[in-house]
Amino acid sequence: MNGTALTHAVIDGILTGAVYALMATGLTLIFGVMNIINIAQGIFVILGAYLSYALSVHLGIDLFVGLLITIPTLFIVGICVERAFIGRLKGPEKTAMSILVTYAISLIIEGTLNLVFGVNYVQLHSWYVSKSFKVFGIYLPYIYVFGFIMAVVLLGALYVMLYRTRFGASVRASLADHTAAALVGIDVRRVSTICFGIGVAVTAAGGMVYGATNAFNASTSYDLISRLLTIVVLGGLGSLGGALVAGIVMVTLEDVVSVAWSPVWSTMVFFVVLVVVLSVRPQGLFGKQSARVA
Amino acid sequence: MILKRKNWAWPVALLALVAFPLVFQNPAVTSIAVFTLIFMAAATSWNLFSGYSGYIALGDGVFFGTGAYAMALVSTHLNMQGGYAMFALVPLGGILAMLVAVPVGLICLRVRRHTFVVITIAIFFVFQLAAINFGFTGGTAGIQIPSPSWSASFYNLPFYYVGLALVIVSTLLSAGIRRSRFGLQLLAIRDDEDRALGLGTKVAAVKLTGFVISAFTIGMAGGLYAYFLGQIYPQFAFDPLFDISIALMAFLGGLGTLLGPLLGALILESLQQWLTLQFSSGSLYLVFYGVLFLAVILLMPQGIVTFFGDVWTKRNRGVEEKKLGGVTVEEVVGTRRA
Amino acid sequence: MRFKSSGIRVLGVAAAASCALALTACGSSSSNGSSTIPSGQPVTIGASLSLSGDFSADGQAFQRGYELWAQNQNAAGGLLGHQVKLKIVSDASSPTQVVTNYQKLISVNKVNLTFGPYSTLLSIPAAKIAKRYSYAMVEGAGGGPSVFAAGLTNVFDVTLPVSDDLTPFANWLAALPTSQRPKTVAYVTSNDPFTQPQIPVAQKITNAAGIKTVYNSVFPAEATDFTPIADAVAASKAEVVVLGSVDVPTVSAFMQAFEQAHYNPKAFIATAGPDQGATFAQAVGQNNANGMMVPNSWYPGYDNASSKAMVASYVAKYGGSASDVNADVAEAYSVGQVVAQAVKATGGFDNSKIISYLHSGVTMQSVQGPVKFNNLGQNLLGVAFTFQWQGANFVQVMPTSNPNSVPVLFPKPVWAG
Repeated sequence: MNGTALTHAVIDGILTGAVYALMATGLTLIFGVMNIINIAQGIFVILGAYLSYALSVHLGIDLFVGLLITIPTLFIVGICVERAFIGRLKGPEKTAMSILVTYAISLIIEGTLNLVFGVNYVQLHSWYVSKSFKVFGIYLPYIYVFGFIMAVVLLGALYVMLYRTRFGASVRASLADHTAAALVGIDVRRVSTICFGIGVAVTAAGGMVYGATNAFNASTSYDLISRLLTIVVLGGLGSLGGALVAGIVMVTLEDVVSVAWSPVWSTMVFFVVLVVVLSVRPQGLFGKQSARVA
Repeated sequence: MILKRKNWAWPVALLALVAFPLVFQNPAVTSIAVFTLIFMAAATSWNLFSGYSGYIALGDGVFFGTGAYAMALVSTHLNMQGGYAMFALVPLGGILAMLVAVPVGLICLRVRRHTFVVITIAIFFVFQLAAINFGFTGGTAGIQIPSPSWSASFYNLPFYYVGLALVIVSTLLSAGIRRSRFGLQLLAIRDDEDRALGLGTKVAAVKLTGFVISAFTIGMAGGLYAYFLGQIYPQFAFDPLFDISIALMAFLGGLGTLLGPLLGALILESLQQWLTLQFSSGSLYLVFYGVLFLAVILLMPQGIVTFFGDVWTKRNRGVEEKKLGGVTVEEVVGTRRA
Repeated sequence: MRFKSSGIRVLGVAAAASCALALTACGSSSSNGSSTIPSGQPVTIGASLSLSGDFSADGQAFQRGYELWAQNQNAAGGLLGHQVKLKIVSDASSPTQVVTNYQKLISVNKVNLTFGPYSTLLSIPAAKIAKRYSYAMVEGAGGGPSVFAAGLTNVFDVTLPVSDDLTPFANWLAALPTSQRPKTVAYVTSNDPFTQPQIPVAQKITNAAGIKTVYNSVFPAEATDFTPIADAVAASKAEVVVLGSVDVPTVSAFMQAFEQAHYNPKAFIATAGPDQGATFAQAVGQNNANGMMVPNSWYPGYDNASSKAMVASYVAKYGGSASDVNADVAEAYSVGQVVAQAVKATGGFDNSKIISYLHSGVTMQSVQGPVKFNNLGQNLLGVAFTFQWQGANFVQVMPTSNPNSVPVLFPKPVWAG
């Protein structure tokens, strides 16, 4: 087995994994603060990709520059969705209900995207999408490197927001304990809405990179959401650092298995590893340990 | 409790279901009915564990697929001819599904609820990928199942009645569990697992047993489905949409109720097939379906059964309130457990 | 009290549901589905297509093909004087829905004839239903070997059986003079019933010609990240790449990874994807498409009078240009043509007579060339062409002996972004 191929696989894994991690972070933030499992996260990624596509093809706006438009747009979409639908969920079955509600929302968005853009596959293009540069004998595509940098920047910004601002403190408080947070005077509703918006907004960024590296259409969202869910669970529901680590671990593991053994088993190996980790550590790598279960 | 009282509605409904295909003989209708019955049985069985215990399992496709492949592999290896004999493979599928449920349950049930949801999904994908990649399952080319050579107008009837039998079995199991101590233990786990544990319930054993029992009918439903279709492929025998659908049906109808999953399956499955037929532009159908769904979930979050039950109960209570001089007993009545 | 209400609820819903189900049975039923149609009445043809879901891009192309055929056939007087009416329903790429659809088309809508669905995965359940009612099922896609192994006598696929798709390409490689012939080849395929059977057939030929297989692997059909696999292919430095793909995203991902790795194979053929016309060109970038090859049984420039007429009428009806016409359209159109010829020859709409006629070894014509079925329902005369993008043009290059083939662009130009 080739050492270079292996190194290449690891580097690819880290670069792509970071982008997945970015999208998964949104998911885990939403869960941590609101106890909502947002199944529509996959279709939001595709929505972000289509928005970037529309800006790029019809207005000629560069993909990264276009993010200045798509990220706020998706933030607003997220807030609207939360206000209209998600925020109404309450009760002990809230989490399970959220699965159904967000699934219904994803169907609506998928159908709408099909009607607006058609079902043909599209892909985002720019000079940096197919060019690469050579370092240490390996070619690194620009898009992956740019995507990685962007993911790091956005995650960094998220971190700063969480740990250095008042709002962030409210979010962390809600993450830790809703009731206590409410008692301290934090408007948990407002925090939840904004977090949902943030969680969806980051998918715009992830979606752009995804759309540049894969031909996609609305039905691609199904594959995406299963990956994002598994990353989030591996990392620990509600743990942002966990999502980052898990995202990178997952993609790197699959890439390495693909090279070292066979592509056929790469996804399966990942799921097996997930099951093993969860059996030993049910809360995921960095999740909070909740009340003991049997 | 439901079966204890002289409840005339259930036998009448049963009679109606038995008579249905004889009245509505059109094979298109009975074909939808067969699929609907399959889902009704599966949803009730799903609810039997997930509804009562609160552990929402979104990977029960594992059992469905196991039953389907059992039907396919056994019938092809024994070179069976299509006909009545092959229906015997349906319960075989159910038993195999139960055997599979034991190790799967042991792995999944160690985690708390939210992780449980996703770990069931993960295990589901492991099975789907195994079915795709292992040789003996026929891989992506799937397996063709021998089909009986009955006449077109008669063909659906035996499938219909076997499906009905599955619905009856799962409903009886579900009702039986509810009135038993075992059922109370499951409900206790749903309400407060730690307290149940503290009170001496063998929580792990109870959960595993419930999980395994729910696998039985789901596995049988899978076997029947495969036989009816005449061909299975790994991505359809292990279909993630199936996982979501049965959960949806139970939620729609009313989680934890007896009638709920039956109703939910009846409505959703027929609705979905009808919508797809009417809206040949596939995308419009998606939007419609999603909107309908959303509306029902938000307006009737407890499910249809509970919603109408509460409406009915409140109306009756309104009459009583007048008699009692306006004293309300809000807290006592109106719980979700039907 | 609660239980009485429960009882009423049960009955109420059962009644409502029965009505709903019965209502689905009502609805259109213009013709009576028998083999004779009163004069002046249209002949109804039913088909279930994947208009949403995984196969939607192809399903919609098929729909256009069927509808174009119906339009042209009606302009020429219809079938035996009866106007053709199509009833196309969507199966959302689901076998459950396909079963219900054909049941409904046959027993409720009482269609006279049926056309096939889009893919191999849906063909068998659909054909079984059709068989039960003794309907012929002529299809344009869904030619995976498993379909014919099912032993259904009513299935006819007008398009070439898929496993032979790569033969002209492999033969061309083998026939190159030794000095030009590539020394190494990489086979990489999705594990899909459409692509996998093609590889061993091609490999047999290249092995015999002394071309060494330096890479041979199968990747999961549901893979989303092709980069490590593509990198492995690039690392093998094979001079020829044979990619078993089913859609544009797969090919696009490989091409992109190859470009990023600065890997330029001398010849690159993919089993599906490059035949998707404008969609392919947009996804990969027009300049990159240059040199890519794909097998197929048809292309817009095909030198066949019937085909040219069809292309012209497609552009007239749907707009765009000739090169936008997807091969799926031709496959669907051929289905209509073959059925029309069977109807004319048997003088009616009796399905069993049509089935016998189609099995009788007669040669028919279609926009994809001549059609003749063996006893399994496969088209013996289907020819595999191989096409190549040369600049912005999609041209036929193989079989090289065919008078309409142009010289192959070999070696493939380097990636041009």
